[in-house]
Amino acid sequence: MSHADSKVVWDGVARGYVPAEPLPIDPSLALHEAGTAEVDPVTFEVIRYALLNANVEHGQTLQRLCVSPVTMLTRDFQPSILTQRGELVFLGPYLQYFSNAQSLTVKWILEHRSADPGIAPGDMFLSNDPYVGTPHQPDTIVAAPVFTDGRLFCWVANVLHHSDIGGSVVGSFCVDAADIFTDPPAFPPFKIVEAGRLRPDMEQVFLRQSRLPNVVQMDLRAAISANTATVRKVEALIARYGADAVKTVMTRVLDAGEETFRQRLRQIPDGTWSHRLYAEASHTGDTGLYRYQLTVRKRGDELFVDNAGTDPQAGSINVTYAGLVGAFLSALTASLTPDLAGAYGGVYRLVHFDPVPGTLSCADFPAAVSPSGVFTMELLISLAGSVIAKMVACGPPELRDQALGPAQPHWYGTIIAGQLGSGAPYIAVNANNMIGALPAGSDTDGMDFGGHFWIPEGIASNVEETEQLYPMLCLFRRALPCGADGAGTWRGGRSITEAYVPWGTPGMAAALYIDDSFPKAVGPFGANPSSMGRVTIKHGVGLAERFAAGEVPQDVAALPGVEQPVDHKGPPLMLGPDSVIVWTGANNPGYGDPLARDPRDVARDTSQGWLDPAAATSVYGLVWDAEGAVDGAATAALRERRLAERLAAATPPVAGPPERAGSDVVLRPVGGELAVSLVDGRPAQWASLTGRALLGSVTDDYRSNCATRDTPVNDLALEFGTRPGRPGAAMLLREYLCPITGRRLTTELIRTGDTPVTDMLLAGEGR
Amino acid sequence: MYRLGIDIGGTFTDCVLIGPGADGATYATSKALSTGDDPTSGVLAALTELSARVGVPLRELLAATERFGHGTTIGTNAVLERTGARVGLITTAGHGDALAIMRGHGRAAGRGIEDVFRVRGAAPPAPLIVPGAVLELHERVDAAGSVVVALDEARAAEAVAAFVERHRLTSVAVVFLWSLANPAHELAVEKIVAAEAPGVFVSLSSRVSPRLGEYERTVGTVLNGYVGPACTRYLSSMADRLAAEGLTAPLLVMQSSGGVVSATAAAEIALGTLDSGPTAGLTGTAALAAANRHRNVVATDMGGTSFDIGLVVNGEPVVADESVIDRYTYRLPHLDVRTTACGGGTIARRDPRTGALRVGPESAGSQPGPACYGRGGTDATVTDADVVLGLLRPESFLAGRMPLDEAAARAAVGRLADELGLGLEAAAAGILSVNNLRAATLIRQQTLERGLDPRDFVLYSYGGAGPVHAFGYAAEIGVREVLIPLGDGASTLSAYGIAAGDAARFVEMETALRAPFDDAALSAAIGDVTERARKALVDAGVFEEPRVDVWALMRYQEQLMHSLEVPVAEAGGAGLASRLVEGFLQEYAQRYGDSPAAAFQAAEVFALRARARVPGSVPQISGRPGGDVTGAAGRSAQVFWPDAGERLLTSVFDGERLGGLDRVTGPALVELPHTTVAVPRGATLTAEHGHFRLLLPSPEVGR
Repeated sequence: MSHADSKVVWDGVARGYVPAEPLPIDPSLALHEAGTAEVDPVTFEVIRYALLNANVEHGQTLQRLCVSPVTMLTRDFQPSILTQRGELVFLGPYLQYFSNAQSLTVKWILEHRSADPGIAPGDMFLSNDPYVGTPHQPDTIVAAPVFTDGRLFCWVANVLHHSDIGGSVVGSFCVDAADIFTDPPAFPPFKIVEAGRLRPDMEQVFLRQSRLPNVVQMDLRAAISANTATVRKVEALIARYGADAVKTVMTRVLDAGEETFRQRLRQIPDGTWSHRLYAEASHTGDTGLYRYQLTVRKRGDELFVDNAGTDPQAGSINVTYAGLVGAFLSALTASLTPDLAGAYGGVYRLVHFDPVPGTLSCADFPAAVSPSGVFTMELLISLAGSVIAKMVACGPPELRDQALGPAQPHWYGTIIAGQLGSGAPYIAVNANNMIGALPAGSDTDGMDFGGHFWIPEGIASNVEETEQLYPMLCLFRRALPCGADGAGTWRGGRSITEAYVPWGTPGMAAALYIDDSFPKAVGPFGANPSSMGRVTIKHGVGLAERFAAGEVPQDVAALPGVEQPVDHKGPPLMLGPDSVIVWTGANNPGYGDPLARDPRDVARDTSQGWLDPAAATSVYGLVWDAEGAVDGAATAALRERRLAERLAAATPPVAGPPERAGSDVVLRPVGGELAVSLVDGRPAQWASLTGRALLGSVTDDYRSNCATRDTPVNDLALEFGTRPGRPGAAMLLREYLCPITGRRLTTELIRTGDTPVTDMLLAGEGR
Repeated sequence: MYRLGIDIGGTFTDCVLIGPGADGATYATSKALSTGDDPTSGVLAALTELSARVGVPLRELLAATERFGHGTTIGTNAVLERTGARVGLITTAGHGDALAIMRGHGRAAGRGIEDVFRVRGAAPPAPLIVPGAVLELHERVDAAGSVVVALDEARAAEAVAAFVERHRLTSVAVVFLWSLANPAHELAVEKIVAAEAPGVFVSLSSRVSPRLGEYERTVGTVLNGYVGPACTRYLSSMADRLAAEGLTAPLLVMQSSGGVVSATAAAEIALGTLDSGPTAGLTGTAALAAANRHRNVVATDMGGTSFDIGLVVNGEPVVADESVIDRYTYRLPHLDVRTTACGGGTIARRDPRTGALRVGPESAGSQPGPACYGRGGTDATVTDADVVLGLLRPESFLAGRMPLDEAAARAAVGRLADELGLGLEAAAAGILSVNNLRAATLIRQQTLERGLDPRDFVLYSYGGAGPVHAFGYAAEIGVREVLIPLGDGASTLSAYGIAAGDAARFVEMETALRAPFDDAALSAAIGDVTERARKALVDAGVFEEPRVDVWALMRYQEQLMHSLEVPVAEAGGAGLASRLVEGFLQEYAQRYGDSPAAAFQAAEVFALRARARVPGSVPQISGRPGGDVTGAAGRSAQVFWPDAGERLLTSVFDGERLGGLDRVTGPALVELPHTTVAVPRGATLTAEHGHFRLLLPSPEVGR
């Protein structure tokens, strides 16, 4: 750790836990270390398949037994099987940013609990401490050791999100927390089950701060039952095939994952890729802008990741080491090794983190982290997705085309609280952002309503289910149109918007909501930003009159009444019987310059009614003829004019007009317009594909040789507008243009006055 | 009087006749090639063959038929090939995108666990409605069933007429929010369509799938509208042609619920015919299980590419609610048949990462098929492994009609064996082991998830690749007793199910009754659903007095994704509610143990399900006489038995010559025209009532 020069250590108390190698484990705990048995290919497969299914069934049991909709539907849980030393063997197809949560927690337990109180058969440990291993406090881990012949053989563990475990805000996303002392309680690992017996005293300790103790208790019991059943399955496998054979399979599954990932990394040139995203408002009332940055260095067949350039920890928008690593790994495996189907532990061995502590993405105690489940984790997954998309674009097409790119930068939606008719309290976590949308790829549009790549398998509520559970009425749930938001050569997937009114109740409170003042993510290689998540609250809209007149209002802007200005992380908002709340998800970012989109794809989106014909012209430069068909020649001419306008308004490169590659020079596409020239088959210079401008050595930042144009992002298009005086006013969209054609090579969101990060550098000869 | 069952499959049309006999029913089968676009021709060909077999002229046979059951894949094919009607969707203002949004689950629904991780490359399924054909009407009902916004019928009529014309619709699906609580607006639109666009097929969600959840209800209703018109045309043409040939009994159609209904009713709720094929096999199993007094049965159908399983528990086939077709999810009570890719054509290969032997999920299908088919396939498949081991004898496959290429099988398995560093036979035995494990895992998951122990079941094995592997996957789950139903009739078990199955209909009703229940309210609801089920059966053309069974669908009120069926033994009486809760608690504890339940609060009955049925009770079939075991044992072969780990001298029997109570001791192969029963060392096979009963030696380790 190059940043470990300060006196604070990575102990899981004052700073996020980073396990030491080798892991200090008390010698009184005997480990089953073997795993070198001769296992024939048939027995190997039989054991592997049985372990994989034991983990799958673990997830299915959680799904059936748990009660909170957020857990059941958004799959906000994750079962795993880990080795005796806490290395991940199998992860299920549920929330992927729990990739390392169990591993870190189990390692911490091994290091700190193996001597006293000891780890024994029939025990289970509970922890929700973000400084130990979970992304935020609601995500609670229950880990069960599996023993054979008195030796610790492996671990079975699950993590699941609990509806409310305390803290200043209903639902435990405490956006107003200044530090962990106003955040929900964090419990370092303790024994919740001892020698097979649930400890009622410790269960009560855990439930005490919850606003919904019954619900949390049910989910906790489900976690324990599911662990118990899975431990028995592993024990049965050991009884049938022998401990050594089962351990050998675990070890070889890990080794195989590692080797697969090594082979893929070797196909990508060595280099360095960085990306930065901005967040707003570190806590309720704040209007600041905050930077999160990630850099990935690839050397041979290993990755080195750091967060240098990230702002110091602030307010409640932090994560610990566990969150940073979990987010990065979830984006990495989804893009590069989904074929391993959750057997990711071997991949993790090759990723080395060296984060700067005390920052937003690697905070020290006592920073607050509880809202990270809807803000910072998503932002980091999006950031990691962008960096990884850039990295693999420099590799062969078959790797590049699998990259998933930037995810939605926040988990949009609302948490609404109120009283049921019976007077009992309810907390409605609107998890319908599960509908999501996928970002575009290098050769494909993002899938509309395609969910989230880091939750491979999830589902939203039906409107009827929501209305049955909670006293509210949904005026609409509809698809968002395509527009400037999410535009690209390949456009991002479309998401949804919903409107609710209180129903059969005098009112309700929106405890959590997200209203962006600027878009948070931008697509790779010259795409537009994604949508801004929006929340609209309007009072006195005259619902009863509309209903009586036979109308279900569909356009809240057209209703009478008063709109209440909403902030990004504002205080709880009260809705009366005649108030309406509308929230939008976000169309995901596209890929490449919108002006390079195939006019047929634009026309298809228009004919489906997804894209307004006027937007087809303003965003994509498409010209319609009198019959409403695409006018090819006029479109080409308009696009040329637009490109020229870009250059006319842009700052030319300092070094003057670029050289152009001769016709004998081979250009290999990287992404969109960006290419590299090849000399003796090796990348030599960055280049633009159409203009054939040479943009400098691949060991330097090509962007210094681009023309650049800055536009305040709020002015870019109506889709990116907001009311004046908000933090987004300082944000620019910077376009890096080919100085010859005006085509975008890349775009970035940057605060006025900030120095840009270096986009990508390839390693030179001899590295 | 005869009962006839006809099942139209992709390749063959199977026909089963059950007739009266001196001691027990007689049974005859026939088979003809299916005739794609005009399935009726294939049906008539199969019937003509049948009439020749039993020596009764077709017209006479049909005139003497009291029940004519029919299973069709026309709806399923229309969906999979997207050749259905031009459907438009009429729905509540603000919710017209629900079908496209698919609850955000359109990428993952119905995909296998190892596929779900691959996010890139997934695309939504092709639409079922005419693109853009969604009409949103201003109307709204709330969760209580109260009208929030009344439907303006005059405005609606204008909009509907223009909508049908603009999109040239032949079918409309009407799905309003909360129509399950109050169907008035849907009923009004039905009238409007009839007036404004007569001839257009109308499906109402409150009728097709009256369950909570607008997405699944929309899918069900749209699917119904998509396949309805074609089903109507097809079934009426089939009925006409059969009547012309002399059939006087009504044409009955197999439903995915496991019962048959009249052709008219089947055409109205065409959704019920989707995926009725696998159901028919389970229905046949359930009918035979009743005759054989087997209370708990695992029905397994292993074919060329897939392995289907269903359960009979306490004499009742297990019912499920949710179905997925081409990633569209809908809800309709149907027999729970689950499938996994593991069959004769399943491909075995070496996993390059771990060096392990993987089997499936890819399949060689029937083209090129296993290497031993000699159609150019070079991958080693399960069937090739069978040939290498000697479990399938090349010269007697399909009664010698399709000799297998043994050299090609040995070459394919041999290449894989070399890659794995195994001997030829060890590799072949390994392929069977892994394939059996995959089959056994599917069985175990379905039994264990209900808290049942697979060792308490009898396993029924059918399908071309079933009986040859049953000894392996039965042992893997710890089952000793295996029944190969109807001997060689196994491949026509579905047709048997159609001939023998009950006339039945399911009705479901949302209730949202929360504990503590009011006995009176509960009784009233049960009475209501019972009456609706009776009426539904009458609507389906069945006028005999039915037996009505009712189940309460229960869960702890917070557990949205959970559902347990609790049988309602008696509809009324004091203590009804507490009996139900008691039943629920028992079932819950059986599945999950006592610990999780302790924390829960109140149980709820969120829906009631009633089934009205007139049992299609079929007498025990009298098998052929036996007594000539020696005569049936013509030959012997050297077979490599995986458990023995060596080649053993194995008797080969002609199964068609076994009957009575003939008994065969393993190691043996019993060859039948469409399959082979493998009888390992220590096992015995007995002929019983036309079935074969395989008793395996001693329970293997089962979990």
